[in-house]
Amino acid sequence: MEEKRIGVYVCWCGTNIAMMVDVKDVSKEMEKLPGVVLAKNYKYMCSDPGQDMIIKDIKKYNLDRIVVAACSPRIHEITFRNALENAGLNPYMLQMANISEQDSWVHTDRIEATRKAKSLVAAAIRRVIHHKPLKKRIVNVHPNTLIIGGGVAGMSAALELSEAGKKSFLIEKSDQLGGTAAKLKLSFPYLNDVVNDISNLIKRVEKSEHIQVILNAEVQEIHGFIGNFNGIVKTTDEKEYSIEFGNTIVATGLKSFDAGKLKNYGYWKYSEVITSIEFELLVKQGVVVNKKGIVPENIAIIHCAGSRNENYNNYCSRTCCMSALKYANQLRNLLPDANIFEMYADMRTFGRGCEELYTSTSRKGIMFLMFDQRAELPLIKEDERGNGVVIEFKELLSGEEIQVPADLVILMVGMEAHENAKSVSHLSGISMDSNGFFIEKHPKLDPVATTTDGVYVVGSCQAPKDIPDSVSQAKAAVARILATILRGTVEVEVTTAEINADICCGCQFCISVCPYGANSFDAANDVSVVNEVLCKGCGTCATACPSGAISTKHFTDEQILSQIEGLMAKVHELEELETN
Amino acid sequence: MSKDPTIVAFLCNWCSYTGADLAGTSRMKYNSNIRVIRVMCSGRIGPTFVLKAFREGADGVLICGCHPGDCHYHEGNYKCLRRFHLLQKYVSQLGMDKDRIRLEWISASEGKEFAELVNNFSNKIKEIGKSKVRKTMEEWT
Amino acid sequence: MDATKNNKSKLKLAIYWGAACGGCCVSVLDVHEHLYDIVAAADLVFWPIALDTKYKDVEAMEDDFIDITLFNGAVRNSENEHMAHLLRQKSKILVAYGSCAHLGGIPGLANLSDKKELFNRVYLESESTMNSEQIFPQTKTEVKEGILELPEFYNDVRALNQVTDVDFYIPGCPPTSDRLLEVFTAIVSGSELPPKGSVIGAQMKPLCDECERKKSDKKQVKKFLRPWEVIDDGETCFIEQGLICLGPATRAGCGYRCIKGNAPCRGCYGPTPDIIDPGAKMMSAIATAIDSNDPDEILEIIDSIEDPAGTFYRVSVPAALFRKKIVENNVEVKIT
Repeated sequence: MEEKRIGVYVCWCGTNIAMMVDVKDVSKEMEKLPGVVLAKNYKYMCSDPGQDMIIKDIKKYNLDRIVVAACSPRIHEITFRNALENAGLNPYMLQMANISEQDSWVHTDRIEATRKAKSLVAAAIRRVIHHKPLKKRIVNVHPNTLIIGGGVAGMSAALELSEAGKKSFLIEKSDQLGGTAAKLKLSFPYLNDVVNDISNLIKRVEKSEHIQVILNAEVQEIHGFIGNFNGIVKTTDEKEYSIEFGNTIVATGLKSFDAGKLKNYGYWKYSEVITSIEFELLVKQGVVVNKKGIVPENIAIIHCAGSRNENYNNYCSRTCCMSALKYANQLRNLLPDANIFEMYADMRTFGRGCEELYTSTSRKGIMFLMFDQRAELPLIKEDERGNGVVIEFKELLSGEEIQVPADLVILMVGMEAHENAKSVSHLSGISMDSNGFFIEKHPKLDPVATTTDGVYVVGSCQAPKDIPDSVSQAKAAVARILATILRGTVEVEVTTAEINADICCGCQFCISVCPYGANSFDAANDVSVVNEVLCKGCGTCATACPSGAISTKHFTDEQILSQIEGLMAKVHELEELETN
Repeated sequence: MSKDPTIVAFLCNWCSYTGADLAGTSRMKYNSNIRVIRVMCSGRIGPTFVLKAFREGADGVLICGCHPGDCHYHEGNYKCLRRFHLLQKYVSQLGMDKDRIRLEWISASEGKEFAELVNNFSNKIKEIGKSKVRKTMEEWT
Repeated sequence: MDATKNNKSKLKLAIYWGAACGGCCVSVLDVHEHLYDIVAAADLVFWPIALDTKYKDVEAMEDDFIDITLFNGAVRNSENEHMAHLLRQKSKILVAYGSCAHLGGIPGLANLSDKKELFNRVYLESESTMNSEQIFPQTKTEVKEGILELPEFYNDVRALNQVTDVDFYIPGCPPTSDRLLEVFTAIVSGSELPPKGSVIGAQMKPLCDECERKKSDKKQVKKFLRPWEVIDDGETCFIEQGLICLGPATRAGCGYRCIKGNAPCRGCYGPTPDIIDPGAKMMSAIATAIDSNDPDEILEIIDSIEDPAGTFYRVSVPAALFRKKIVENNVEVKIT
């Protein structure tokens, strides 16, 4: 084995790592390991000076491999790979050791955390010895885009692409465009009529020569990878479309919380109790009556229905407080003499114009009552006098148990992920969180991309959102997509499977194992072959291969096994040091 | 403490490793005797890695993947599940406590669950005791 | 033939057996009339099965006196170990010949038990044994004529390279005579030897490469069967019929003798290159082929794999990462 020249860089991350890990001790000890030419520690490795240090060292000391002990590779692997590339080194000659998220932040004993860091870095050093330069693969980008979901987010994306003269397929499950926003009458905080806005949006979409709208349709299959997807769209009348596209936007929207699940509110029991969605329909029709057809005198708007409560959904749905204030205004206009009660848990009115709406609403003779949504929810009972219902709860501001009569109760139901989120996630290869919302690539720095290249998430399928946020996200995704279309090419996964034809015996264990159909049998040569373009590098086939003919680039047996050796060698060395 | 058992964990990149990162960004605290190796998918994890970890002195091996149905690569976690059960049967035959190998599903949002799992598994391994695999294999008797 | 006479023009060849069944020595005889070619090119200086050369004759040889030693059999006791060291010292090239010397072989299955369990079974519990005095073999026994000695029986069986330095490996249970002749001819003809540590007389590719049974990508199994449970159609891949065949993980070179005899491969030619554990890859492949995603059903299907250790490591327990039984507190060991 020719000599390796490894540079090791231990990051302080300010105090994030340094307060719990003795970074100087770690770098000092790493210097002693075979192949390590130098080991340094520095305050912020990811900063420009930090990266410059690596680049200069690579050139000055002729380093051929780099280990960076810092945060998760999921955050900064790309950063450091770029640094290697800038220094003329293949970016895959890098290995990171995660001593922040998986060490300094989760442990409380400095000695133990330091010991762990040493073991993780030693493992990275052993691993990087076996790294091999990998060649970038560049593919062309198909200029069309698939957009799943014809709500505000999906339509905004389609129009933005259309502005640039790029074609999109806008697939809508229902028989009309508009999504949830099409059910609304006014938008908050300025109480603008949103009906016209949405119908104008729909008109523009329908008029665009670059947008092919397919209604009553669902995407059945998506194959391929960034730049080169193909898929099948099927309508309810069994019409099938075979389409090709370079990028995918998932804009499948939301579903309302099922109010029937709330034990205390008797949604199915009392005709006085309706959901916010039903209320929107009433105001759109211009007549506010309860299910008995009676014009209400006492109206209660209950916030957080199904939200922020451990029995239902833990999260805040973000838009309901503002909608509830909007309803109070709408009701005050329609029924000037009615008593209106806003029963809220916490009033969340962030964003421009929102707190102002709260203030102005509170001056319109609306009664604001506070309850604790984390304890027992308000209880809706039948009014013994036969006048609708009574809402019973402890009012937090006064500290009193109160009873509020109501002949209309509006439950501000939260947003939930669509029931088809799971199939969409499988279809497009993106992940969901435990609530069924799609997960973005990075919560702060990459909020519209996903971990599957070429697939973007916009609107409420990613998390509860209002209209402007959905529109912004849609346009951001389009900006990302247009960049790839404009460039015409993208880099794709290089850490694919690889079959050694000198070992492969054609047993075909690897064929059905692959979820992407990337492996096939070459009967003429009696070996399996990988289509690297289809392979996503999961490595399942390499582990299923009985002969060891298949390896996964950058995750080879040799690399992982030496990482295990490195981890444990350091554990034993430190243990022995202590016992002696 | 160094007398604590050592756990080697294999985590899939998309769910479990992300979940472990989330435990970190949420500043959850858990036992420091765990050493994580990242792979892209739990479907990459096979008996060789697990046996090797014990051979090198691990006292427990934790394997985590995405929840059933949520695998980033569709079904890698099921492949892992099948291998895990056969491997458990094999190591039992050699006299090792099969509970030294554990397979759990951790999603990208389950930072808290990951932290709890590490502590829970770590306690379990403490209960079983230090592994004798490395010493046994190095002794020629 | 004078075994110790130094004849410079001829190679000096030794063949020894450790813990072996004798089949490897017979495989040398199985070259039939080619034995004349062998003895024309080489003097056999030591071969317990055929010659009367004594250990002390070997001890008297100069170091490196023997050109090639084919050592078959595993190392099970102190005698085997002594001879392994001695032959190493006296030989220029030491070849681990056959599965037992290569990977531990069938005797290596004893590593799933320990010495105590084996002795109890053999000397106390076996159905044909009457040993009320509980007499076990002793390394030294005093009788009136003096002291009788027996080799010490070790707790674990070892492959040859776990005892001494090995130059080459010729796998097989036993190696085929054809492969032996090829290797021998190559050495005699002065061909360049492969790098030290190489497996010779076997292919890089696994057995499936040679196997003529029909294979497809349908490697999905609902129940694993033992050979007696299947009426073999004689032409379909064994694995696709639910049988565990180690062919995909085992080097070719044997001429797929077992398959031709309608028996699945047991892995005697050993794993393909660069494999650090001889059974784990096949175990992984077989597990992957389980046709279920349901945890209970998976367990049920695994139940049909009677003896994973004995199946995937039939001839290679001592060469495995887990090369012998582990004694843990509170774990009952089941020997199958």
